[in-house]
Amino acid sequence: MSEASPLGERQGGELKWQRLSPWAVLLLLLSGSASLLRQHMPLVLGAGAGLALVERLGLRELALGGAVLLILAVLISLLYYRRFRYCCDGDVLIVQKGLLEHREFKVAARHVQSIVIRQPVYMRPFGLVLWEVETLAGEASRIALPGIRRERAEALERELRPPEQWPGVASESAPAAERQVVPCFAISGKAIVLHGLASRSIYLIAAMLSPLVRPLERWLHDRLPQLDLDTWMPGSPLLAVLVGLLAALTLLALLAILAAWWRFHGFVLLDAGERQIQRSGLFHRQEQTLSLARLQVVEWVQTGLGRLLGRGYLVCHQYGALGGDAGESRRFLVPGLSEAQGAALTAHFWQTYSRQSDSRQGAAGQPLRRVDPSYRRVLFLRYLLLLAGGAVLVLGVLIPLELSWPAWSGLAAVLPLLAAVLAHWRWIATGWAQEQGFLRVRRGVVGQRTGIFPMQHLISLRLQQSWLQRRRGVATLHLELANGRQTLPYLKEDDARRLADTLLFTAESAQLV
Amino acid sequence: MTFTNASLDPQNLPALAEAPLEPVSPRLAPCQAVLRSLHWLLLTGLAALVPFMIADIAAWQPWPAVAVALLGASGIVLGWLEARRRAYGLRQHDLIYRRGLLVQSTQVLPLARLQHIETTSNPVERAFGLVRLVCFTAGGRGADMVLEGLTADRAAAIRQHLLARLESAEPEPTGADAP
Repeated sequence: MSEASPLGERQGGELKWQRLSPWAVLLLLLSGSASLLRQHMPLVLGAGAGLALVERLGLRELALGGAVLLILAVLISLLYYRRFRYCCDGDVLIVQKGLLEHREFKVAARHVQSIVIRQPVYMRPFGLVLWEVETLAGEASRIALPGIRRERAEALERELRPPEQWPGVASESAPAAERQVVPCFAISGKAIVLHGLASRSIYLIAAMLSPLVRPLERWLHDRLPQLDLDTWMPGSPLLAVLVGLLAALTLLALLAILAAWWRFHGFVLLDAGERQIQRSGLFHRQEQTLSLARLQVVEWVQTGLGRLLGRGYLVCHQYGALGGDAGESRRFLVPGLSEAQGAALTAHFWQTYSRQSDSRQGAAGQPLRRVDPSYRRVLFLRYLLLLAGGAVLVLGVLIPLELSWPAWSGLAAVLPLLAAVLAHWRWIATGWAQEQGFLRVRRGVVGQRTGIFPMQHLISLRLQQSWLQRRRGVATLHLELANGRQTLPYLKEDDARRLADTLLFTAESAQLV
Repeated sequence: MTFTNASLDPQNLPALAEAPLEPVSPRLAPCQAVLRSLHWLLLTGLAALVPFMIADIAAWQPWPAVAVALLGASGIVLGWLEARRRAYGLRQHDLIYRRGLLVQSTQVLPLARLQHIETTSNPVERAFGLVRLVCFTAGGRGADMVLEGLTADRAAAIRQHLLARLESAEPEPTGADAP
């Protein structure tokens, strides 16, 4: 690669193509294996399929099969490397790749919405990174260059910076390229621990480990009689169960904290004017760039435990978010925030919003308006049906129990109470506020998510009324946004229609200026 | 960033409720009825013909088939009534589609959000001379609005109008809306 054309730009009318680093072959193998292992580990370990396969085939045959697969994988990686090439033609990145089917991708700078640079631990010794670019078509359009030098990745990032970030275009006073990069948030050790506890990782880890429960149960069943339990186990069975539960919860919490540490160690958010850059990762370093011009929705998220601990995180949504809430870990996420920090950063991302609301309150702004109380009654009926159906299915069919009449009566009394509590919590959590050009929508039950977005970012809307809603004079408003749907259920019909008209006017008139 | 934040007068905004809507083609109702009949005939056939493994239950086999057929018949009638109520409207800056009988919904798609348009039709729709107009917006999450029950001429006219709007729009409407 010559110094004059670090990105392989056009020279003498010919495009000068660049290849991945030769080490990329090894890295492709490693990342592919790591991904396979991660995806199939619960199945292989948990369900005992791995052991069954070893017993059925024998170790030698399995090793032979593994060697053949490895050779095949090496050959495929070599072919992939040979076919993979890229270059820049002006501000357009061209990538050609494909094993059987040859494909060419072209990404123009004006269509770029975010750029991510990842450096897994096994890439560090080679000084290589995994560079990814995402266009306005969303996460499905993501294109990766797996295994290029860091300096080349940074040069690509500069080359593909959207036009509004080019010097002289963004602002007259302080062009983006000349602005200094200022740290605006750095995570502390305590915040990482609290984020680990308050994030959804704890539930995800529990779900991931659930296939291990059955083998563990079998192992305990075989081993327990041989152990002298009386010496260290509590005498009471109830106490023993409680201790066991506490131990399991502690383990899950520990794993969640470790996961948070792995992902967010050294997290720092840098303000480079139009660009917001975040860097984090213990072994797996990651750098993500967000263009504020492409930002569509900022969401403040608090789980149930997070609300108790006073912690939450911000998710910045752009176009074409796939996977809903489950896929948010791939997005621009600011973790371990207190409520005040969350409000301040929301105001930082939406600068016009911050000018309108009290700087101390930030995202809190004016109090949210509740939806019609009939929503609570509808929710109560839904939850009651769901709980009653679940109870009948579990107690009547799956685990038939001989319950006495008082026990059934107690259950019949508890279910409506539980349904009423859940319905009330969800009704309380559901709210909205229209603040000048912004809309704030909150949803949830125990955990809560509050989306804040300029009204001009609406993509489409749907006003819906069932026959019951028409009788009660309420309506549900579904708002389609870049990151998915926001629903405002059971608004007074007049409010719903007024809000729909305002949203449409704002979105349509904003495109005309 | 260029973000305008002009004050609005909520009383003088164009009201969605007052937008004039035009009914879709009356041929949509029989077309939907044929499509639904085919669907429910298949289900009724499955319920009537799939053999039950337990002899005691097999004696009751016709009843589920009758139940499925009755459900299908009511679905076809409701579908017919619903198709007769569908309507659409094309305003200067948006496209409106109203549908539903028990649960009524009005969907509005600002034309500025439109990315591309498709027209599709299945053999039954073609037999009735109907076309579906499928509108896509930015983000790649699939079709955002599907207008069913347009005659081929009307669909072509709307498509032409929307394409003209797309061509006259700025090259990149989605990226320019800076906050």
